Amino acid sequence: MNYDNVEILFVEDSADDAALTIRALIKSGFTNKLHHVMDGAEALDFMYYRGAYADRKKQANPKLILLDLKMPKVSGIQVLEKIKSDPEFSSIPVVMLTSSNEGPDIDKCYALGANSYIVKPVDSDNFFKTIKEIGLYWLILSQHSD
Amino acid sequence: MKNNDSDELIIANKELAFQNSEKVKREAELIIANKELDYQNSEKKDRAAELIIANKELDFQNSEKEHRAAELIIANKELLFQNEEKERRAAELIIANKELIFQNEEKEQRAAELIIANKELIFQNEEKERRAAELIIANKELAFQNKEKEKRAKELINANKGLKKAEDDIRKLNDELEQKVIERTSQLESVNKELESFSYSVSHDLRAPIRAINGYTRIILEDYVDKFDTDGVKILNAIINNSKKMGELIDDLLAFSKLGRKQVSLSEINMLDLVYSVRDEFLFEEGENIPEFEIGALLPAMGDQSLIKQVWINLISNGIKYSKYKEKTTIEIDSHQAGGFVVYKVKDEGAGFDMEYYDKLFGVFQRLHSQSEFEGTGIGLAIVQKIIQRHNGTVWATSKLNEGTSFYFSLPSLNVKI
Repeated sequence: MNYDNVEILFVEDSADDAALTIRALIKSGFTNKLHHVMDGAEALDFMYYRGAYADRKKQANPKLILLDLKMPKVSGIQVLEKIKSDPEFSSIPVVMLTSSNEGPDIDKCYALGANSYIVKPVDSDNFFKTIKEIGLYWLILSQHSD
Repeated sequence: MKNNDSDELIIANKELAFQNSEKVKREAELIIANKELDYQNSEKKDRAAELIIANKELDFQNSEKEHRAAELIIANKELLFQNEEKERRAAELIIANKELIFQNEEKEQRAAELIIANKELIFQNEEKERRAAELIIANKELAFQNKEKEKRAKELINANKGLKKAEDDIRKLNDELEQKVIERTSQLESVNKELESFSYSVSHDLRAPIRAINGYTRIILEDYVDKFDTDGVKILNAIINNSKKMGELIDDLLAFSKLGRKQVSLSEINMLDLVYSVRDEFLFEEGENIPEFEIGALLPAMGDQSLIKQVWINLISNGIKYSKYKEKTTIEIDSHQAGGFVVYKVKDEGAGFDMEYYDKLFGVFQRLHSQSEFEGTGIGLAIVQKIIQRHNGTVWATSKLNEGTSFYFSLPSLNVKI
């Protein structure tokens, strides 16, 4: 599999949330450049060219990371901390996705350098709009360093 | 005399010759006469000496008389002066006499007055005696009452001893109660915390499956709609609406549980500014019943600005919501001072409610109207109550069915510590 043109790295352990998010992204036109990983450990493997991603082309980093907060093993916070403290990745926008607006970690995420903190809306209409806006904002409207 | 004697002697001498016989007789007589004369001469000498002395004495007396005369002149002058003095004194005495007469008249008048005054005094003395007699009786009565009072005092002392013991008992009980309250409060606080974390995790974890149900149903509706008939589509929409509703309930519950843990940061709130900003944030669509606001002079209060803003939003939107079947919507907002608190009022002329169900008004997810009549989750007033309680204030309402509702809430005045 070729991971060289991944524009959105999507980290989500919930299959349901993943399915709905991916559908929303596809419907919004951000299809072919999306890669979904199931947990934080896999996300770090992807970023650091490890395991299944050992052959991934260096420096071809994603333009946006959608990161679920609550995940088993390596949590979203840990992934965020690792990425934002690494000069190679620190400029990549990271959008935290969470199930409710009440995380004890909301301040911590911003302190660690998260670019947005999004509560997944229950209503799929709103959810769809939110995902579309995230994609639009971070991939198209926002100016990148590269 | 001397000359006469000498002449006589001459004659005598002449006669002597004549009278020689006589002479011897006469000589004896002459001797005697000479002796007489000698005696008389010495007498004369004595008298002359005496005269000289007498003259000297006279001189002395004359000069004395002159002294006396001079003294008399001085004495006369003195007498004259004294006479003048006496005249002056006499004139003064006349004036003094006149004055005395006047004073005597005055004294008589005074005497007459004194007589009257004495009579009055006598009458008053009699009165005093009467009073004294009455006082003696009153004193006896007082003495009796004092004894009674002493008796009562003793009884009171005894009663106080009893009371003191009762008080000590009560204090002890109070202390025990206080201790129990402290224990219960801390138990309650820990239960509350558990409850909050429970409601938080429930809301949090409930959200994910609801989101999935809603999302998947919408996928069915979007991608597989041709596989369903009208009823099926209706059901799918019902699932979407219900799951959406449940999402709202969960979000409300989450907001409510969050409120219990939120730090209340107090500051002075300019309530008029806050209410105006809340009013201006309401958006209305065309054809909607645009409310008429009557906003009085709102007193400032102490509070957490963002939380109190939520209170205004909830109460005002409530008023608007429950007025939607009325011809027009009127929202009246006012305030007044009540002790250390400011009481705010939000009054509408909407549907109102039956005061019989008042105790359900502020309950979480409690509703007094049907969903089809007025939409809502029933969390708004519970949030209002919780916010006001966290400010040590009170919230209450009065209502009349079909006539409208008045909500009241109190917040501490400025400079009142909470």
